[in-house]
Amino acid sequence: MADVRLHQIKKSFGSVEVLHGISLDIASGEFISLLGASGCGKTTLLRIVAGLEGATEGRVELGGQDVTGLPPEKRDIAMMFQSYALLPHLSVGENVRFPLRMRGIGTKAEQRERVAEALETVQLGHLAERKISQLSGGQQQRIALARAIVSKPKVLLLDEPLSNLDARLREDMQVELIEIHRRLGLTTIFVTHDQEEALSLSDRIVLLNKGKVEQEGAPDEIYSNPATPFASSFLGASNLLPATVRHSGGTAIAELEDGQTIALPADTAEGACTLALRQEDITLSDEGDARLTAEVATRVYLGARSRYILRLAGQELRVLTGTTPTHEVGSRVGLEFDPDRIRILPPETDKTSKDT
Amino acid sequence: MSDRAENLILALPGLLLLAVAFFVPIAQMLLLSVQGEEGLTLANFTRFLGDPYYLGVLWRTVRLSLLITAICALIGFPLAYIMARIGPRMRLWLIVLVILPLMTSVVVRTFGWMVLLGRSGLVPDILRSLGLAGRNFSIMQTESAIVIGMVQVLLPFMTLSILGVVSRIDTRLEEAARTMGCGFGATLRTVVLPLALPGIVAGSLLCFTLSASSFVTPNLLGGSRIQVLAASIYRSVTQTLDWPFAAAQAVILFVGVLLILVPYARLGGGTR
Repeated sequence: MADVRLHQIKKSFGSVEVLHGISLDIASGEFISLLGASGCGKTTLLRIVAGLEGATEGRVELGGQDVTGLPPEKRDIAMMFQSYALLPHLSVGENVRFPLRMRGIGTKAEQRERVAEALETVQLGHLAERKISQLSGGQQQRIALARAIVSKPKVLLLDEPLSNLDARLREDMQVELIEIHRRLGLTTIFVTHDQEEALSLSDRIVLLNKGKVEQEGAPDEIYSNPATPFASSFLGASNLLPATVRHSGGTAIAELEDGQTIALPADTAEGACTLALRQEDITLSDEGDARLTAEVATRVYLGARSRYILRLAGQELRVLTGTTPTHEVGSRVGLEFDPDRIRILPPETDKTSKDT
Repeated sequence: MSDRAENLILALPGLLLLAVAFFVPIAQMLLLSVQGEEGLTLANFTRFLGDPYYLGVLWRTVRLSLLITAICALIGFPLAYIMARIGPRMRLWLIVLVILPLMTSVVVRTFGWMVLLGRSGLVPDILRSLGLAGRNFSIMQTESAIVIGMVQVLLPFMTLSILGVVSRIDTRLEEAARTMGCGFGATLRTVVLPLALPGIVAGSLLCFTLSASSFVTPNLLGGSRIQVLAASIYRSVTQTLDWPFAAAQAVILFVGVLLILVPYARLGGGTR
């Protein structure tokens, strides 16, 4: 167990800079998620911590020791790959024993004991003699996890380890990861593009966007108080509405692009802004006397709930509601929400940032 | 029509070609080798196996072939690994470089070595001027010359066999090994080498068979004193005109190669 410190990490591939100076302090025993869309540099950052990639600039410290120039085998880390990277010519047991054998940890008997223990942790103790090719995807994933934790590394690096599993297995593994982390207390860096995984697993989320830290904080903090439109739309699929705030007669009014207005708390600053509203915070009513109306573009039936795609002021708006009453496609509906649930964010500077 | 019959028909032209071009001559050779003046005889075989000279030729053939194969593997594996891991552009150039010798005739290449290795050739000259060799030093007409020449001829077969396998090894396996405490050398030993084994085995089979049956290069570089089995067969056919004895030698070469290859191929197949 050790803390990890990244100081002003920059990375360029050729003339393209993909990481623009990332600094991060990770406490000993912390479970931290690097969250971001593909191409945001999260895996590159993880590989720099592992030593598989050299940073162009900056410093990596593990447990207070500067390891920037050290090759991966000299760093006390373990990494679990998205593809699992199990060695096909070795048995399951030999795969799990591999890091112990290569790092020269313990005697043969001790190694055997630790392998058995690690396999027990992932509940696959009975498969030690199997060949890798005889395992299912879910089993391979667990073996890869067992192999990563068997040497009790200072830092455990997980590179999208759950993304190749089907939904049920993934949920099971999330629970298991939480339990393993609680039991072993390993400093863990978890790379994912799945906000739900990041929210449910981590002590802290670092949201990356285009090679920069967009926001970092505890899951509930980052979810309920996103600092930027990107953070807001990436976490929890917020609806973003560009608006202009005006003060009139002691109240603040936000005017949307189509002229409709929303009352905001009086202390809201004037000027251009982005309003963020979560899809689960909106309820729909018949048009009637609602203060905000929109047109129904699509209705998606999800079983327990329905998702409506609405058109409002040239924007798409997603709303998650109960299944009744139903609103017809093409009709106008009223939007009801608690004004306190609206978050006022700086105006979106770069429209494309949502899609990258 | 059943699948079986269909498959058989599809395979038929190939099987016929094999039968006509391979099995018929082999059968003829077998027959010829046991033909004596009065009926069937094993005299040709007992003559070969009872003569220390011919046993020496057989042993030299096997020994040199093993040595050539081993050297090819030692050079071919790192070469193939570099070719697999280097960029696609450099890989193309290296492949061209490796294959280039195959595009000239064996005779021409061998004469090239004769020029380089002969008494007044480049290599002995350099060794002499460095003081590493005596005045009459020559590599020509030695087993070393045969090995040097054969390694050059056979290296492409070994390298390309291994390259095919190594380029299919997932580089993430090597990265994973690095994160588990393997240095570069240890990664090569514990991950790449075992996974490349089928390619090394296949390449070795090719190299061994080709070098055991090769004739031109050993004959020209080794001279008439250092004979290998193929050259001895040639002499029986063209100089002493003893065809049954030549056939017997060919059968011994054939069986000898099979005896070594079959268990070795099993070894390669088992690791897959």
